[in-house]
Amino acid sequence: MYLTVSNATKRFGTFVALDDVSVSLKKGEFVSLLGPSGCGKTTLLRIIAGLTDIDEGDVRIEDVAMSDMPARKRGFGIVFQSYSLFPNMSVAENIAYGLKVRKTPSDQIRARVKELLEIIKLPDIIDKYPGQLSGGQQQRVALARAIAVDPKVLLLDEPLSALDANVRASLRHEIRQLQRELKIPTLMVTHDQEEALEMSDRIICMNHGVVVQVGTPEELYHKPATRFVADFMGSSNLITTKLIRETLPHLMSKRPDGPDDAYDACIRPEEITLLEDENGVATVTSTSFLGNLNRIDLDGPFGELLVETHGPCNFKTGQKVSIDVKPEACTWVLNDEIEVVA
Amino acid sequence: MSVETFGAQVAPTFRRWIDSDKALAAICVIVPLIGLFLFFIYPMIIVFIRSITTPDGTYGLANYAQILSSKGFWRATQHSLVMGGTTTVLSVGLGFIIALGLHRCAFPGKTLIRVAIVLPLIAPSLVQALGLIFILGRNGLISQFTGVEMEIYGFWGLVIANTLYGLPQAVMIISAALVLLDARIYEAADVLGSSPLRQFRDLTLPAVIFAVLSASFVVFTITITDFGNAAVIGGDYSVLATEIYSQVIGQRNFNMGAVVGIMLLLPVILSYYIERQAMKRQKTQKATNVHSYVPRFRAIRDVPMGIVNFLIAGMILSVICIVIYASFVKLWPYNFDFTLKHYNITLAGGYSSLWMTVWISIGAAVAGTLAVFTLAIGLRHTPEIIAQPVRILAAMPAAVPGMVLGLAYILTFNSTATPLYLLYGSATLIAVINFYHYHTQAYLTVMTGFRQFPSELAEAGSALGAGIGRISTTIIAPFVAPMLVSVFFFLFMRSMVTLSAVVFLTTPQLTVAAVTIMRLDDAGLTSQAAAFSTAVMAVVGLALVGMKGALLLLAKRNSRKSGR
Repeated sequence: MYLTVSNATKRFGTFVALDDVSVSLKKGEFVSLLGPSGCGKTTLLRIIAGLTDIDEGDVRIEDVAMSDMPARKRGFGIVFQSYSLFPNMSVAENIAYGLKVRKTPSDQIRARVKELLEIIKLPDIIDKYPGQLSGGQQQRVALARAIAVDPKVLLLDEPLSALDANVRASLRHEIRQLQRELKIPTLMVTHDQEEALEMSDRIICMNHGVVVQVGTPEELYHKPATRFVADFMGSSNLITTKLIRETLPHLMSKRPDGPDDAYDACIRPEEITLLEDENGVATVTSTSFLGNLNRIDLDGPFGELLVETHGPCNFKTGQKVSIDVKPEACTWVLNDEIEVVA
Repeated sequence: MSVETFGAQVAPTFRRWIDSDKALAAICVIVPLIGLFLFFIYPMIIVFIRSITTPDGTYGLANYAQILSSKGFWRATQHSLVMGGTTTVLSVGLGFIIALGLHRCAFPGKTLIRVAIVLPLIAPSLVQALGLIFILGRNGLISQFTGVEMEIYGFWGLVIANTLYGLPQAVMIISAALVLLDARIYEAADVLGSSPLRQFRDLTLPAVIFAVLSASFVVFTITITDFGNAAVIGGDYSVLATEIYSQVIGQRNFNMGAVVGIMLLLPVILSYYIERQAMKRQKTQKATNVHSYVPRFRAIRDVPMGIVNFLIAGMILSVICIVIYASFVKLWPYNFDFTLKHYNITLAGGYSSLWMTVWISIGAAVAGTLAVFTLAIGLRHTPEIIAQPVRILAAMPAAVPGMVLGLAYILTFNSTATPLYLLYGSATLIAVINFYHYHTQAYLTVMTGFRQFPSELAEAGSALGAGIGRISTTIIAPFVAPMLVSVFFFLFMRSMVTLSAVVFLTTPQLTVAAVTIMRLDDAGLTSQAAAFSTAVMAVVGLALVGMKGALLLLAKRNSRKSGR
């Protein structure tokens, strides 16, 4: 492991922002810290950056302790949601700032600034000031400023949250591309599950100051460990053991042992097959057309169910249907009894 | 009922509404505008005309030639500039240190420093001078206990008194720029490896340089136009403000006074203009959604900064507190037994001038708040081509020193040529000059509130059928209430302590608190002057507490309404 945080705890007064959190980052890896607001992900990032003091635990890079090292000695790069470019400096001066601090010769700085502006695809804005740039341009410059010094770790704090939807989508792709090319170990804080799924090698899912699950995007989506993760990562149907036993008993075979309320079944909406069936147990309560897919709401003995289908939609409101779920499409998740508003 | 008859019935009422709204909007602008013309523009024209009226009644530049060739004028000008320059450097330098201490350093007891900064604002300007005399004067603490004789009257006394007087303004202007700085910017620099000293040079200095400039011009202006400290501690060190006074009161030479007044106006207008430009540059740098900077304790920076901050705050506090203390002791600095005898004012009139000042201040505050609110309402409905010059006019009085405005008033209202003469010697006129003297600050404060007012609210109101009058009183007034409260108390407190504008307008029958303090000091009754100052500070201090209370109450009411 390249960067390791072990047993980090941070309190603000009586509020526990981080409770014994351990995470790690490999060389060249892109990891997202994902969770709802207030889950401690930003606090963790700031502790790694050295901007917030750690109460207990430590931060290491290749076994060198960082906890007592001030932020400016760590040699990291950071990008904030609010761009945070130096308003009194031009784009070139902003990008050059870290290099100047490191006393890099000025001809090298000039060449590096040019090269970085090419990388972020904005070669013509070198003499502009932050106030003259769009949000997307400012964030690209902030990225160039952070990577100019070849940081040991790149830290991204909700870097795309302040941008328009289409800028966000293209920048997502570009940041990931750039990170792959430069192989900078990167840690990104986000509350947007789609962003995390698209960009990350691994995702660390957090809630209430603890790590809930760590894994690849596929693992987190297909094999969520808890109700919280299942609910936070895309939409899912979460059904209690009792209802499954009564209505879809063939799904019980893979259930881990334990009391009824310990585990719930998680079935992704696209894993459910609908069949027209006049004697079906479920009724279509509404349908909506979302372009590339259809969203169908059902009501039946298993409660309300969400189904997504591709292609033309043949179902009408009020129609009787029967459903089919393959045993491998059902994941049993730990009931962590946390209500999450998606 | 057919459509036509229905329309015919409604249309006239509708038209009448539009007309009465237009008329109301016009009155809202015209009445305050008449006030500005009558009580600001017209007196300023008179002062200019009198400055070019020669003794034989013809117009010409003879007065200017005479003044410019007089040694006294050049000496006063030179004194004003040297004293103003020195004061500005000291005041802004110390103010910068305090502002940095308050906003960029971590040490305990900042509340005490904040209180010390506010104190000079509630005291008449000559209180600093009185305090210095009690400490450093011939019968002061230092000479009494060390035997060191110091000559406090003159240049250094004036510089110290005015430095303390200008400090709060400098701190407030520089602080306003410092709180706009985004913490994230510093964190970005931190992560990039920049040292704290380097961050100060690269980020803080460029961001506050315009505020420092602006503070310099403000402090320079208030020091060269201040009369109170110059009169009490200036001694033989004549400055332009005292020069006007001696021309007018001493030699009854009104036209020469007018010339000196115009000469004093020039540097002030220049610095006012530059300051406004500097403020504009400052605003363009303002960022949205700023994360405020929370300094973490660093001994190497915070221990020395804390000590220096407390030393400066201690200086301000001790100079003012010594005045209060001295008012309660038998014979300063020989007998420190407690007594209330100095509160028995022996000068003719006793405390009547204090109560008169309270009434005048209430009058100025009520009428002034109403006038700027009405003007702001009217400007919402005025076409830009008229509104633009009105806005410039409303922001102009701040560029005129109180001494010059006072002189303009005596020249205008002491002349029997117009019916305005009826106002001369009345408390009303003193209330009027206090309002117009501080018109700009009052107007700008209310405008800040109006800029934050979402115009959709007023549009929703008028779509529901409410006229300007109803919208103004039921929708706009509650929204800008905090600003109106601030303006009311600002006008009240300034009217309580101001000296320079009113010094020419008081008569033996009608005088105000600050003038009484000056007379007590002139008569050698320094302890009584201290007692009277303490009484004034008590009234203004109460008003300040009242203002904070009212604002807190408003904030509470608003937060309850929004359910927070």
